[in-house]
Amino acid sequence: MAELDIFLQNIANGVLIGGVYALIGIGLTLVFGVMRTINFAHGDFVVLGMYSAVLFNALLGWDPYLSLLLAMPIGFFAGVIVERFILSRVVDAPPESALLATLGISLIIGNAILLTFGGEPRSVQVSYASSTFSIAGVNVSMVLLLAGIATVIMIAALYVLLNRTEVGRAIRGTAENRLGAELVGIDTRRIHSIVFGLGVMLAVMAGVTLIPLLFATPTNTGAVFTLKAFVVTVLGGLGNVGAAIAGGILLGVVEVLGASYFMSEYREAYGLIAFLLILLFRPEGLFGRTVKRV
Amino acid sequence: MTKHLIGLGVLLAVGMAYPAIFPNNLTVAISVLLFAGWATSWDLLGGWNGQVSLGHASFVGLGAYFVFIGQSQFGLAPWWTMAMAAAVAAVLAYFWGWLTFSLRGPYFSLSTIAVAEILRLVAINEEWLTGGATGVFIATLPEPFGVDLFSRTAQFYMALAFAAVVIATVIVISRARFGYQLRAVREDEDSAMAAGIDPTATKLKAFMLSAALTSIGGGIYGIVLAFIEPHVIFALLLSVQIALTAIIGGRGTIWGPAVGAIVLIGAGEMFRTTFAEANMLIYGVLILVVVLFVPRGIVGELARRHIRRLYAKRAQG
Repeated sequence: MAELDIFLQNIANGVLIGGVYALIGIGLTLVFGVMRTINFAHGDFVVLGMYSAVLFNALLGWDPYLSLLLAMPIGFFAGVIVERFILSRVVDAPPESALLATLGISLIIGNAILLTFGGEPRSVQVSYASSTFSIAGVNVSMVLLLAGIATVIMIAALYVLLNRTEVGRAIRGTAENRLGAELVGIDTRRIHSIVFGLGVMLAVMAGVTLIPLLFATPTNTGAVFTLKAFVVTVLGGLGNVGAAIAGGILLGVVEVLGASYFMSEYREAYGLIAFLLILLFRPEGLFGRTVKRV
Repeated sequence: MTKHLIGLGVLLAVGMAYPAIFPNNLTVAISVLLFAGWATSWDLLGGWNGQVSLGHASFVGLGAYFVFIGQSQFGLAPWWTMAMAAAVAAVLAYFWGWLTFSLRGPYFSLSTIAVAEILRLVAINEEWLTGGATGVFIATLPEPFGVDLFSRTAQFYMALAFAAVVIATVIVISRARFGYQLRAVREDEDSAMAAGIDPTATKLKAFMLSAALTSIGGGIYGIVLAFIEPHVIFALLLSVQIALTAIIGGRGTIWGPAVGAIVLIGAGEMFRTTFAEANMLIYGVLILVVVLFVPRGIVGELARRHIRRLYAKRAQG
């Protein structure tokens, strides 16, 4: 019985952490699906979100969840600006140009944060940081549960946006066929800006919800999140929003189970190994359409 | 090709005299030479063959750890361990490439980050082998012909030899059958296949050569540092630095990566006091400038202008 309890506990933690990974992964996969660009700066936008929560907390004394109200719109417009002034110029260049541009943006964000906030880890102390409650013998951390709820709300909102609105239809059209979308009168440049803005907004939101749980450091955390986002999207299948959710939860569960049943010091490696195995056996992702092998 | 080899010979001769003229600036020169060698090796795969790797720090770390473990646990001299590291790097590159090269698109770049991260985690956690997260010192080194390998001058000559060998390799390849195969695969895999070239085999060969050369530079780097930590030597930032050095200098050109190393290490030294730890900011700004305004890189752009001038002259008669 005790073993079953531990197992359920691990599954619960894995699913909740995986929800946040899914949130990070959706932003990356959305941008990839529409713009065909791997955004290397994605993790740095997550870190930017974490630092925005630190900043609002230090200046105004706000709770991280309150600062979402400001951080999300700011993230959206930051994304639109980056897309307008940098990425839109390389949209027709060879695909790695856009990848290198986002790599440059990643280095600039990380090092700009380092210059502003210094290198020591930052966090926001909240009163509910260590409070838990139990459902059927499984202890659930308050912070993780709030993050999970925020993720579900965001995913639902995104679903409505993509499937029930005119902008969403235009986004899906652009993802499917950019030229075709332009032929039926969709301004694909505007769609690209909106999508990149949404991607950054999701990253910032994930960062803010993570800050009560994790410390933020300027340069390394960004790379870690970018890598996690890649793993999530490749697990599910690049460019597929629904699959990114499954991929995120899978990564969370794999990490937690691997860490508690095998060697805990390799926690980060389990996701990466799963990633390499997927690349080997099912490169289109667990839920993607088949990719032609050369 | 002879022109480039003569140029390399002249540079080598100038380089030989460098320690006598600037005996106090050897550390910076060593980093320039190591980065020139690494970026040129990276360029074999990333520039000539078009497969962008963001995991070359794996091979740097492999070379450094081979030298350390060989010396401290088995008493093996660095030249033997460097040769072993090169062989192991080539084998690793073979399996890694075999896993990812049959897929097109961003998969290869993504997998390179994952492999470097896994190696870093292994180096941190397998303390019995690597000394763990705190890193390891190298205390003794053999003295071939009475040369002290801990002296900066000896290390300078090792780095110089490394950079020269790598650049000479690329000069020879650029005019060899293999060099044309590399470029054909980069430009269009389907057309290359139609011309009888196996794209996957070509990429594998380029990756193995690139990995082996990089790991030899890694071994020299280990000796230069004399103290290695897994999160420094396997860092994603080191991989990124190597790739950006080649791209900013000019991908798929013989001298581009070396020029990139001089420009970037030079800029890094100039702004060292201004930005301190945030030194990579310069790489970020420069890569954006290159992507937006000079997509061919410094040397690539100069070469293009030179060729256009030649055509203009010929057209005028």
